[in-house]
Parts: sequence; C-alpha cells; structure tokens
Amino acid sequence: MWESVFYKEWLKIRWFIVGYTLLGILCIGYLFLTLKHNFAFTGGKNVWNTMLFQGHQFYSLFKYVPLAGGLVIAITQYLPETINKRLKLTFHLPLAENNGLLLMQAFGAGSLLIAFLIFGGLFTGFSLIYFPIEIVADAIITILPWLLAGFAAYFMAALVVLEPNRVFRFLYSLVGGCFLTIYFASAGTAAYGPANSGLFVLTVLLSIAVVFSAYRFRKGEM
Amino acid sequence: MEKISRYIMIFIAVITLAIFIPKLYWTVFEKPIRKPIMHYSCISKQFMINRGEKEWTDAKGNQCSRDEYERMLPMMFTKQLLASGTLPDSINGTALDMRAVSREKSFFRLKVNEVDAPAPRLYPLFESRSGRAQLELPEDFFRITWRVDFIDAATNQILEEKSQMFSAALFHNGFSFPAKLISGLPTQRKSCDEGYLIVDSKEQLFHLKMIKGKPLVKKVDIPDGLNFRYIGCVDFKNKDFYAYLVSGKNEIYILTQDDYKLIKWPVDRYDPATCDLKIYGDLFNYTVIIEAEDHIKANALSPDYQLVDTFTESWKTKEQLQEGKIFASIFPAQLSMKSDNSKFVRFYFTPSKGTNWLLFNMLLLVLHFAWLYVRKAKLKNHWVDMGIVAVSGIYGVIAIHLFQNKFFD
Amino acid sequence: MNNVIECNNLTHYYGEKLVFENLNFQVKEGSILGLLGKNGTGKTTAFNILNGFLQSTGGNCLAFGEDTQRLSPATKARIGFLIEGHIQYSFMNIHQIEKFYSRFYPRWKSAAYWELISKLNVSPTQKISNMSCGQRSQVALGLILAQDPDLLILDDFSMGLDPGYRRLFIDYLREYAKAENKTIFTTSHIIQDMERLIDDVLIIDYNKVLVQSPVSEFMGSFRRFDFELNKDDTELKREPFIMNIEKVKNKVEMYTFSPESDVKKYLDDNKILVSNFAQVKMGLEDAFIGLTGKY
Repeated sequence: MWESVFYKEWLKIRWFIVGYTLLGILCIGYLFLTLKHNFAFTGGKNVWNTMLFQGHQFYSLFKYVPLAGGLVIAITQYLPETINKRLKLTFHLPLAENNGLLLMQAFGAGSLLIAFLIFGGLFTGFSLIYFPIEIVADAIITILPWLLAGFAAYFMAALVVLEPNRVFRFLYSLVGGCFLTIYFASAGTAAYGPANSGLFVLTVLLSIAVVFSAYRFRKGEM
Repeated sequence: MEKISRYIMIFIAVITLAIFIPKLYWTVFEKPIRKPIMHYSCISKQFMINRGEKEWTDAKGNQCSRDEYERMLPMMFTKQLLASGTLPDSINGTALDMRAVSREKSFFRLKVNEVDAPAPRLYPLFESRSGRAQLELPEDFFRITWRVDFIDAATNQILEEKSQMFSAALFHNGFSFPAKLISGLPTQRKSCDEGYLIVDSKEQLFHLKMIKGKPLVKKVDIPDGLNFRYIGCVDFKNKDFYAYLVSGKNEIYILTQDDYKLIKWPVDRYDPATCDLKIYGDLFNYTVIIEAEDHIKANALSPDYQLVDTFTESWKTKEQLQEGKIFASIFPAQLSMKSDNSKFVRFYFTPSKGTNWLLFNMLLLVLHFAWLYVRKAKLKNHWVDMGIVAVSGIYGVIAIHLFQNKFFD
Repeated sequence: MNNVIECNNLTHYYGEKLVFENLNFQVKEGSILGLLGKNGTGKTTAFNILNGFLQSTGGNCLAFGEDTQRLSPATKARIGFLIEGHIQYSFMNIHQIEKFYSRFYPRWKSAAYWELISKLNVSPTQKISNMSCGQRSQVALGLILAQDPDLLILDDFSMGLDPGYRRLFIDYLREYAKAENKTIFTTSHIIQDMERLIDDVLIIDYNKVLVQSPVSEFMGSFRRFDFELNKDDTELKREPFIMNIEKVKNKVEMYTFSPESDVKKYLDDNKILVSNFAQVKMGLEDAFIGLTGKY
C-alpha cells in the first residue's frame, strides 16, 4: 500500500523534484566552473589562500538552494491536498490513523534526501579534485546546516500548508521563519561544527510536526 | 502521536522564542557600557585613564583635560604632539629619536573569539631568504598530520620530495607527530618571514622555517611541566621576540629571537577563553591589558620586563544593571546561536541568575490555571502544559497557546 | 438485521450556534436511506461527523459498530465515500487513479470501473482536472463501485450534474445496492433524484428529526388537502394535527398526518366554510416542502 501512496506523491511532484534536482546540479556545475576559472586566472595558491585565511566560500551561492527545495516540494505535495479539502481522501484510505500522511512525508523527505545526496556527492567529488580533505571537510561542515534547513523548511511548510485556520497559518509561518534562521547564523567556514548535531536532532524531531496540523484539519478546526 | 507532535512543536517554539525575545529585549533596552581605556604614562609614572568621551583622569582619579592626558602619553599620541608642537625632546633622560620611537612601537591584540574559533589546518611556508624585497606566497601549503605534507595548490598533489625532506627534518629533531598547534603569520604583509612555531603531540615546541628551500628546525627548550595553549606570532620592528605565548597555567611568556629564551612576564594570570588581551609596546614600557566582561587589569612593564605598575577597574555588566535584573526576573534563560566569546556556532544557553524568574513563572502558572478554570477545562489534560509553563515561563506560555491543547480523545 | 450506521444523541454546536441536538437515527443493513433537510439543518455536518472529519460536541456515531472518529483500516475499506462535488485527486488521469486506488482495496473490481469509464469520451491521458463536472462524477462513481464497499456514504451525488448523469448515477447505485445487499446513506439537493433511489427517508429540521421511516410509509400517511375559503380573511387556528398551512389569498394548502375526517371535523368545529376541498397527491419533494415549509 505504501507503493500506492508513493506513486501518487510521485505523480504530484515528479516534474518539480526532477526540475529542482537539475537546477541544483546546474548550480553546482556553475560553482565549479567559476572555481576553475579562478584557478586559471588568479592561481591556485591565491584561491586556497582566500579560502583558508580570508573566509572566502566559493560555494556560498548554494546557501539557500536546499531551503528552496524544501519549500517547493512541501507546497507541491500539500497544497493540492488542501484545495477542496482533498486530504479527506487520504484519511479515508484504509490505512492506520496517520500512516497515509507519514508515508507522504517520507516520500517528500526521501526525494529531498536523494536530491541532496546527489548535490553532496557531486560537490564532494569535484572539491576533492581541487582541494585536500581538510578544506573539503570544512566546506561540508559549513554546508550541512543549509541542507538540514532544507528538511526543516519542508517539515515546517507541510505544517503551515495543512493548518486549517488562517490566523494560525500566519503565526506558524512566523515561528517557522524565525526558527529557520538558526540554520543560517552568519558565521565563518566550519563554524557550525559544534552545532550541527543539535541541529540534526531538531530537524529529525520536526519530521512529525505535520501530524499536529493534520489532526486539526481532521477534527474540523476552522 | 498528535500529542507528541504538539510537544515537539512547543519545544521548537520555546527554542525560537528563547532566542528572539531576549534579542528583542536587549535591542530595545541595552545601554552601551563604557569601558575605560588606560595607558601607562612614562612621564608621570602612573596609569592615565580615559572613560567615555569626556573624562580623563590619572590613576588617583584626578581629572585632567584631554590635552594634558595626551601630553602624559607621548608614545601613544606622538603624531598629535608633534603636530601641536608639544612633544618633548627627551623623556627620563633619554633623547627622543623618532626612529627609535617608531622601532619600539608595537601592538598585539588577542580577542576571546579568536581563541575559540575554527583553525585552518593548512599553512603557507614562505621562503625566508628569497632575496626579493616582497614576500611571495608559495605555490604550496603544508599540513602536519602523521608527517608533513606539502600540497601544490594548482594541482592538489602532494610534493613528495619536499614533504619527505621536511618530515625528516622535524623527525630528526625529536618532533612527535601530529602537530597540536601551528602558529605563524600566514600573510605576505609582514616585514620578513619567521616561519612557524609548532607544538607537537608531546607539548614540545619547535620553530620551523624554510631557507633556500631547505628546512630549518629548532627545538625550543621548555622547562618540565610547561605547555602552551596559545601562541601568537608577531612581526615587530624591534625583532626582540618571535611570539607571545600563553601557558596552560594562563601565564604570558615571550620567546626571544635567535636565542630562543622563554621569558615569563610578571603579569596577572590571563585566561584567553574569557578575556581579551592587548599588549602595547613602546620605547619605555610594555603595557599588558587584560579585559574581562566586568573588569580590566593593566600591568606596566619596564623594557627589561620588570613589573612597574598595575591598575584595576571594574564595572557592572549588563546583567548587573537594572535592565539585566529585570531580564532575570522575567526570563528563565536566554538562548543564542552565537557568542561574543567564540567564532563557533553553538546552542549557547545562558540561565538567568537568581530565582526571581521562578517566581514570575509561578505567577504565570497561576494565571494559566485560572484561565483553564474559567474555561472549565479538564485539568488532567493540562498537567504537562503547566509543567512547561513552570519551567520555561513566558516562552512556554506563548508556545502552548500557539499550539493549542485541543484534543478530543 | 444489523445497524450499519448508528448515531446516538448527536449534538453539535458551531461556537455558540446550535446545529442539532440529540439527533438519533439508524441505518439498517441493506437499506438505502436518504437524508433530507433544508440548508443549514446540519446535513453536511452530519456527514462530516460520520466520515470522521468533524468531532461532534456531544454524542457519537458508529459505523459497523466502530466509533466513526476512530475507524479501523479494515472498516474503512468497507466504506465508500463520495465527497460533495465529486472531489477526487485531479492531477491524475483515469488510468493513474484506478491504479492508485486498486491496491488499497482487496475486493477491487477493475471491470466495474472500466465499464463505466468506457462510456466516457475522454483520452487515456486526460487529467481529471480537465474533465467536465459530469465526467468527473462518473470517475468518482466508477471508483466507488470498483471498491465494492458494503456501505456507501454519498454527500450530494447530484451536485453539478445534468439530468443524464444524475439518472446514470441513480440507476447504477440502485442496481448495485439491491444486487449485493449494500447499504447506502445519501443526500441530494434534488429530491426527485432521491425519490428514485431511496427506500427510507430521514427528514431533519432545525434541531429535530421530523420523520424517520420508509418512504412509502411516509408518503402513505402524510397528506395534503387543498381548499378555497369563502371568506379571504378567515382565520385558520393552528392545531397540533396541522403540520403546515400555506395560504395565498383564499387558496389554502393544508398538510397533516391525520385523515380527511379530522380535517373536515376541524373545519366544521371552527365554522370555516370552504369550497373545492380535495386531497392532492404529492411527490416526495412536495411532501418535504409541505412538511418543512417554504422559506
């Protein structure tokens, strides 16, 4: 039965997730083309020097890409469910209480995970061509909170889209927006090292946030 | 599961509120704290203090004008005194040679957040005797793990020959890999290159330079039991020493150039994790200024590093002022992702001092209880909510109303 | 015979406004029950509660013996559900939607779905969002029939449909229900459609059940008498046996469950002189309006 739910979600989001993944890959491609250009024009030693000692991050363009992905997938998955209260159809399926919804979440989060793994893999692979493991590791530590923010944005957007009451939708958007800034505190390369595990835990906790809104939807909250 | 989902959202909301509400509070209510600036006067042989923009006094508190203050500090305000024609020809019997004044002038600063910060693990080793007027950035960078690796930046390949040569040089001088601390000046903007000071895994101290492509390694003799937690290399015109070092016991040392003598300065203990450090050097004195959150300690040294004077002043931190006390009465704690004392991002949790906030929480709890009572709510459904209010106070109150406790089972 | 649906002391408030109070009704296995009521009497509210999409303020509803707020998956598989407006996932086409639903229901009958869909003039990849109201309703009906549920809950199956589709629905539903002893609980704003479909009727008015009985019984006992008053301004005293009186000038329609003799007695007792007195045959819609009144 989970295959059917995944099938339905795939039908909903397939063009968006594929398009988004392609855009992300293009973005990463662009980052490395620019890097290659800089290596040629300013020299490898200057590129390394600005990265090591002047805090330059050649990947900073990527900062909000995961966040955008999370928002786009959440909206394309859940907005159609709220129009005419189509979510009722999911709740009427012969599945245990929240399983239908959690399967939808799993699919959305899973799709994002695959996209991010592709991004991460490409980024790491190309970076290792140009830089030693120390610089690459620091870059990954820096990018990790941005990826986690993508998931957090997905979970929070699901909560907001499914919330039936307009006032609370606005308030939850506010809380969500403020909360997401935690992932983007202005900081230097690898500064997020100590915070990443805490952020990971918070992001995982958020994964079932949507159950709360869905419950309110189901009980007829206005 | 709905209840768990709600509690998770409340937790998230509490975290968010605990970050933003205090931030908002301090943005509105925080007043700037004027920390005094002090310098040692080689003329009056005491500290001169500048508090704020209008107050200048000596160490005994006697007021003076700005002009008098600056005249007492010719080494700090040399340009100003030259311009106003009030620079003396000699001080303490020493004629003022402008070249000597310039050569002896130095400034070193170490902020707390530079100590607790991500450190690069790759460094450029400059050619110390290139024969060129300007230092040139090398083509490769080195790291010290289980050996020394020089990696060419353009190709990202390890330069085997060079790496082996330098690794061997360190090894033969007793270096125990990996390196614990590498300190130097990885910039071209210095007068000359003095390489790096490196602490190995056994707390031994080494000096590494590259001269005409070959390694120069010198092991520094350290007394037993001495180790260093921070090394700040300097590039001063007088070339007296390579670096300021802070020991594990928070003492300040210098390492002299060429003869590698470790000299401990007779100044106050200084914890780099909690205090800022400034060291001013001039023709007549060294002034070590240690600034903590609520006090400042200044030590003046003679040119041969004897302690000649000290000065201390303290002030109220923002927590101790009225705004801070009110804060501590309303908010149980403050959360922040960043800290003034570190460049790392963490969940910085600062509980409020005292227990006034607990009383406030109890008040909120009573109000919440009354609100529930008026609505004839079943209290047993709200125990956890009340616990949340009791612990997290105003943050909890807002959070439990944002995510309403409306369950039907 | 079991009660497939049972609602006990159902009460609901929207804020301070009372929708209904202590509503009690049952739907027996194999029956086709129609819910009639004016707008605002709580029809959709009752459906939402029945489907577990609204928590009633008081009382409860049971379907197959289970509380409708917490139906087990096995029971949900036995209930077919039509949302008002034939709402379905519109981003799918007729193939995808059948493929999607089929895996959830062990008794899925593809043939039943395709028999209906083949009558549709749509391309295989046409999304449901690009279909007309009528076509969409056919897809919705096909999905319900393919599911082969024991209980069908249909919230206004006529909504937005032209007469042809409405007749199609009724024919298919009735045949399906009777052939396999299925239970249907439905409502429609077009009462003639209901008349063709239902066996039993439940008429609710603000806050109370007016009628719960087989249609035949209701139609057999609820009567309409028309007459003309000799004097226009004759006062017609309201007595308990009179359910409703509609008076235009001197023409009167009187609705009651009582026999003709009681009406005649009333007229005599009150010395009301009339002419052209006759009992008028009613359809279900006439009876409904007669019972609940025009607005």
